[in-house]
Amino acid sequence: MAGLHSHHPPEDCLNCEHRHLRMFCNLTPEALADYDAIGIMMSHARGAKLFSEGDAARNVFVICYGQVKISSTSRDGKTMILKIAGPGDVMGLSAVLANVAHEVTAEAIEPCQVKTVRKQEFVDFLGRHGIASMHAAQSLSGEYLTVFHDAKRLALSGSAAGRLARLLLDWGTAAAPGKPEIRFTMALTHEEIANMAGTSRETVTRLLNQFRRDQWIVIKGASLTIVKPDQLERLTA
Amino acid sequence: MEAETKSGRLSTIAAHPLAELLECPPETGKLLNGTAACTVCEAGDVVFRQETECKGLYVLVSGQFVRSTERMKARLTLGPARAGELVELAAALGDGHHTYTLRALTQGTILLLTKESLQLAFESYPPLRMRLLEELAREVSRAYISCSLTRKTPARRQSAGANPG
Repeated sequence: MAGLHSHHPPEDCLNCEHRHLRMFCNLTPEALADYDAIGIMMSHARGAKLFSEGDAARNVFVICYGQVKISSTSRDGKTMILKIAGPGDVMGLSAVLANVAHEVTAEAIEPCQVKTVRKQEFVDFLGRHGIASMHAAQSLSGEYLTVFHDAKRLALSGSAAGRLARLLLDWGTAAAPGKPEIRFTMALTHEEIANMAGTSRETVTRLLNQFRRDQWIVIKGASLTIVKPDQLERLTA
Repeated sequence: MEAETKSGRLSTIAAHPLAELLECPPETGKLLNGTAACTVCEAGDVVFRQETECKGLYVLVSGQFVRSTERMKARLTLGPARAGELVELAAALGDGHHTYTLRALTQGTILLLTKESLQLAFESYPPLRMRLLEELAREVSRAYISCSLTRKTPARRQSAGANPG
């Protein structure tokens, strides 16, 4: 979960001051000029659905700023959140390249700007630029790891406290890589966090209060700081 | 989406045959064959271990293998891998670290296409990269669908006295 990003929307890819920080958009000048010429920038309000599970995959979406909830329906028909995608993340790529319908639903959880590129335009772009296909491979690899770690977290963490601790640590590490302070914006509700941690909303509320009382975390509004990561890490064992 | 529909979709995104995936002009084929490393392993041998650096793309030529993952003292068996399979596309093309551990169940042979030789092959014949990228996309799609088929959302607590943990 990335909480540290600018809310100043870039006007185009060539003048985007953040592209060096983004995995996909950090392209060579030639590829960047080509990338800038394809697709359109679209702004989405909180709650807007970019695509739904089962929809034909007609576009690839690259997040410029904002956060998007990626969810799927479980066997018992309930919604489960797989990840929170942030700036630089590419959405819909696996469905477009595998030529299948979207496997997941993408919904903005805050106002966001997304570059939307038509399927064939994007595939042609990858074909023209080796660096873009390399970044696409890294993006797909990241998606694969997300699904894998999600399944692993649920299967191998014995307790709800361990699964919640793992989730907070993962989000913290993603939002503040290498920084001494592990802080991120918690954009999800307790119900949604419960969904990701494989537990109930009541348990999430109870555990977050417990972690706060133990001074392992500090919560100020939507901002969560992990003060004692080693204690949380111990819970995941 | 119904579970049956999802199961049906899994079959439409099955892995493509190896010969089709690695098909390339003779000079690119020679390049890959010339640098490929062939390893014979015995039952119980670890081909690669989770979280170690991925050296390239593994082609399972013969034998039976099993994928597993572990965290601390817990281990989870992910499933079998058989001859004819291309293994660790995600690690070879992307992240660079093994997602799981691959162990031989029987005696077998494995061909390793190193990352360096793959890179040269991609430069010599770009459609190969695109084909492998599409195969990785199918693998991601299968992972999404399998995950939603196997995962159950947690039930709400039924009584105040229940232990949710």
